[in-house]
Amino acid sequence: MYDEQSEGVKNMERLIQTFQLTKMFKQEEVIKSIDFTLEKGEICALIGKNGAGKSTFFKMLAGQLMPTSGDIHLFGKSGKEMTKAKKRMGFMIETPAFFPDFTATQNLEYFRIQRGVVEKERIYEVLQIVGLANQKKKRFRDYSMGMKQRLGIALCLLSSPDCLVLDEPINGLDAEGIREIRNLLLKLNQEKQITILVSSHILTELQLLAKRFVFIKNGMIVEDLSKRTLDEKSKKQIRLKVDNPTKAAQLLESAYPDIRYKVLPDQVISLQNHVEESAEINSLLVNNGVSVMEFRIEALNLEEYFLGLVEGNDAND
Amino acid sequence: MQMINYIKSENYRLLRKKGLYLTSLICLLLITAAAVVLYLLGQYETNFPYATSLFFYSNVISGSLLILIVAFLFNVALTGKDTSLLKQSISFGVSRSAIFWSKLILTVSYFLLLCMIGMVYTIGLGESLLADDAQSVESFLIASFNMLPIVLGGFFMIHALKMLKFGDVYIIILLLFLFMFSGDLLRMILRPVTGLSELYQYAPSTLLDENLMEFVDQAATFDYRYWVVGIAISAVSLLVGAKRFAKQSID
Repeated sequence: MYDEQSEGVKNMERLIQTFQLTKMFKQEEVIKSIDFTLEKGEICALIGKNGAGKSTFFKMLAGQLMPTSGDIHLFGKSGKEMTKAKKRMGFMIETPAFFPDFTATQNLEYFRIQRGVVEKERIYEVLQIVGLANQKKKRFRDYSMGMKQRLGIALCLLSSPDCLVLDEPINGLDAEGIREIRNLLLKLNQEKQITILVSSHILTELQLLAKRFVFIKNGMIVEDLSKRTLDEKSKKQIRLKVDNPTKAAQLLESAYPDIRYKVLPDQVISLQNHVEESAEINSLLVNNGVSVMEFRIEALNLEEYFLGLVEGNDAND
Repeated sequence: MQMINYIKSENYRLLRKKGLYLTSLICLLLITAAAVVLYLLGQYETNFPYATSLFFYSNVISGSLLILIVAFLFNVALTGKDTSLLKQSISFGVSRSAIFWSKLILTVSYFLLLCMIGMVYTIGLGESLLADDAQSVESFLIASFNMLPIVLGGFFMIHALKMLKFGDVYIIILLLFLFMFSGDLLRMILRPVTGLSELYQYAPSTLLDENLMEFVDQAATFDYRYWVVGIAISAVSLLVGAKRFAKQSID
């Protein structure tokens, strides 16, 4: 499952490791034996539908939920020793919670004291980083969703962490907000070498951010890919515009019995496999009197890939 | 260190909660109002028998339920809506145990501080405005000392239940039962049971009633039973509360 690029970084420092991690709620197993590793420097995207188990997995990493079985190592530490490791991490799981009657500064001051961060100026630094430095008098209750998310990220950055675990950090943000947070996370990764594990249901945003993609479905990791492999895998659709789709379909079926295709409106046919034989397919159609007016190989975007993967598996279930 | 930091941060929060000051102010105002009313009635009503410090102090000794409501309000200051932030504290490595005990230490400290201020203020008003009964202050202090473990037991019980996310209504019903009706109920239920028929004497409500009666009769004495019962309620509440909270999901 774990591809060659990820294998290549085996010797790097492992920030998060889970071994056979499971979680049961009453009789329902929501996390099924997850083995996961996050290496230093990665931006890893955890992708899954609502209810796939992303937040439950993150909550177990954060210690909010106790695993039913399995083990978690953070910076190589497990059990009670993880407390020290958590000082090097920043978690934002679901919507960040703050005191509604406090300003951003007061809220961060509360956590600064709690986390033992000595430098008071750090509060202003992180507010500057997330673009909330000019909201000094505004109470948290008056914040927009985007501002709340930013404050959540500011809180994560407060203790200058080496690793961020962010659950849906761009949830509720507008396009501009999403772009800003994405750029911020990229900047933190590139300039401060902060490792990031991030989940989101806005998959296209992760495509622009992450370097590794982990797909989770029904509490199990179903795929673990590097960006390069994902991009390669995504290039698997041929779109044809022909004068006679029925004849083209017959030709394709007889030449490639396992072919998967869809006939779309406007005489368009999309082929999901045999992409590497595009030249032969083109020749087959032309030589048999089918005019090919358009022929192109399309890369599926991440969302399409993900949905394809999950729906495909659903169909097999 | 982790616990000290957590206490400091919670103290930062607590001192910025209006509710804490408002509750304290209302308590002191109620004490003042009671003293002033008794004083004025004593001044203007001939043969008014209650303008005495003994009667004034008896209102405090009989007000255990009111004191427990104040205890509830103080505890809620850190165990109410603010608990939505716990998930972040846990994520940053603060242990559940540190959270449980830190919130308790802080709220009980401020509660005891208010109790002490209230007592000194009560004695000050009683001794300056109202007719002094012989040894009333001494009796008041003894009766208060007897009340202390029971009230603290109640405070710890509230804390444990709040941390375990019990609803406020359930907690109040439990308080009413334990500190108002437990004696009568135990007496009724256990009357036919040989060996247990006298157990009601150890019920918090019975002890509190007894304490009041002895105070009014100016016969208040130190009694170990208050401490036995108070320590039992405290130990059970805190041990069960801390143990269950340590395993609780916080998300």
